[in-house]
Amino acid sequence: MAPAFLKEKAIHGAVGVLTYLILSALLVFILAPMVFMLTASFMPARDIISMPYPWVPKGWYGHNFVKAIAGNDRTYLFFRSFWNSMVVAVAITISTIMIASLTGYSLSKFSFRGRDLVFMIIMATMMIPFEAIMIPLQVVSTQLKLTNTYAGLILPFLVDAFGIFLMRQYFITFPDEFIDAARVDGMTEFSIYRKILLPNSGPAIATLAILTFRNQWDNLMWPLLVVQSERMKTLTLYIMKFTGDINSDEGSQMAVSLLASIPMVLMFFSLSKYFISGSAVFSARKG
Amino acid sequence: MPRTVRSTLKKKQDRWGLVFAAPSLFFFAVFSFYPMFSAFFTSFTNKQALSLARPKFIGLENYSYLLQSPDFWNSMRATAVFTLGTFSALVVFSLLLSALVSELRVGKKLFQLAYYSPAVLSSVVAATIWLLIFDPRGLANQAMNAVMNTPGVDHYWFVNPYKEQFSTMLVYFWKHIGYFVIICISGMASVPPSVYEAVRMDGCNRWQSYWHITFPLLRPTVVLVSIMSMILCLRTFSVQYLFTLGGAPERAINVITMNIYFTGIRFFRTGRASAMSIILLIIMVVLTWLQFRVTRSEEVNY
Repeated sequence: MAPAFLKEKAIHGAVGVLTYLILSALLVFILAPMVFMLTASFMPARDIISMPYPWVPKGWYGHNFVKAIAGNDRTYLFFRSFWNSMVVAVAITISTIMIASLTGYSLSKFSFRGRDLVFMIIMATMMIPFEAIMIPLQVVSTQLKLTNTYAGLILPFLVDAFGIFLMRQYFITFPDEFIDAARVDGMTEFSIYRKILLPNSGPAIATLAILTFRNQWDNLMWPLLVVQSERMKTLTLYIMKFTGDINSDEGSQMAVSLLASIPMVLMFFSLSKYFISGSAVFSARKG
Repeated sequence: MPRTVRSTLKKKQDRWGLVFAAPSLFFFAVFSFYPMFSAFFTSFTNKQALSLARPKFIGLENYSYLLQSPDFWNSMRATAVFTLGTFSALVVFSLLLSALVSELRVGKKLFQLAYYSPAVLSSVVAATIWLLIFDPRGLANQAMNAVMNTPGVDHYWFVNPYKEQFSTMLVYFWKHIGYFVIICISGMASVPPSVYEAVRMDGCNRWQSYWHITFPLLRPTVVLVSIMSMILCLRTFSVQYLFTLGGAPERAINVITMNIYFTGIRFFRTGRASAMSIILLIIMVVLTWLQFRVTRSEEVNY
């Protein structure tokens, strides 16, 4: 008994070490580009392109950040672009939460005629990739003079089917007794939503908020289509122009990337739980 | 009497349900279905963005043009290569890694979070970082040379079309692998531990129990991950576009979304771009329909 036990333990030990080795090798591949961004943003360009890459900055070389913020043409549009991205992403996040939760409430706790049809129609929109409808949307935006406006950037993303699905799944598990009790107390349907459903759906809302905010912070295609003026550029467009400029250098490219990632990185470190739950929503099975 | 009062009350309540769904329905009508039908009708016209002439109905001409256009087929091929390459790597590695990570005693959460972390960066930032990595003096060459012991060799990441495609795939893989690992791990977590205890009692080792138990039970998750990553890859744009702007040759990585953008926005061929959008839409609908069908029929009972 004892030798077999020992042998098994040894095999387990070896397998364990191998597991950690494989996982760590991948970890290096995953983390190296990010460490590269972080360290290169504090290096002058000549250090970044020296071979082999030094990995540790020789000092706190801040010039890259000055250049990233000032821009290649010293117009300081970085702040403006940051602000634009913030306005658009926050507005879309808020509207998605409001509309998706309201619709999710409707589709989970009411039984009006045609409810299942409504749900199916909304789910069907998941099949329409934005890239397939962006050209008509751009044509209409131009006709309505929505190009270079916040409205033009925000309107096509006010809510999305996935958000509605997520909120509906969450509300289905919400006990009916609370809602019925509130009805007996004479609360209106809307105040039930506002005072009972919303305050009790923190995790779902946090998950949806993070997903929505990240998607918008990442959005390149739509701003590319409806923004031409420098002052209305979002951060993604700013980075694209800044790094594409002949006068930009490696260090300031990494510095601007780092600066642009700060909001998401802060969210990731403070709310990592909801990033994971957001990914896991899909794999949740019914039954 | 009380019964009718109650049922009218119920009806009144339920009417609110429709009211609460109305904003969403209105939104999707205006911002999803209208543009979809608009793209559909425009695809049968010769509409051009800057032309003042009324667009003319030209039937299937845009479609027949596309089907004969080498540029369009190049895009289809670039998209197919990118999608198949990236999605198969994502599926295989997410299964493998999630199996390994869920075996860990220490650092399970930490590995998951670390793998997920690139997803936090925007695609534009990811592309910017990787453009520097694929620079002739960048980390990609240094790592390759260190592994293959070929100091000072430039591997021309963007010159060879296959390597260029591989580069874009690598960026995508890097950015999204963590997300799919997490999905697989939560899929595995939903397999009840009693199943494992039972097979362990039957004398299965870990590998056997993974191969015979976890993997079959994980099939719905695998299908889900496959289709999700496939759709994600079909919609890729930022990385290819940024690489093109950064000097990579356009041809090998001119994916369908980029082609729609160039045709419709840069060359103002709205009608032709709409036809391409409709083709993309059809591909997407077929794939999503498959997802719904397969995941529904794959519900498992333990």
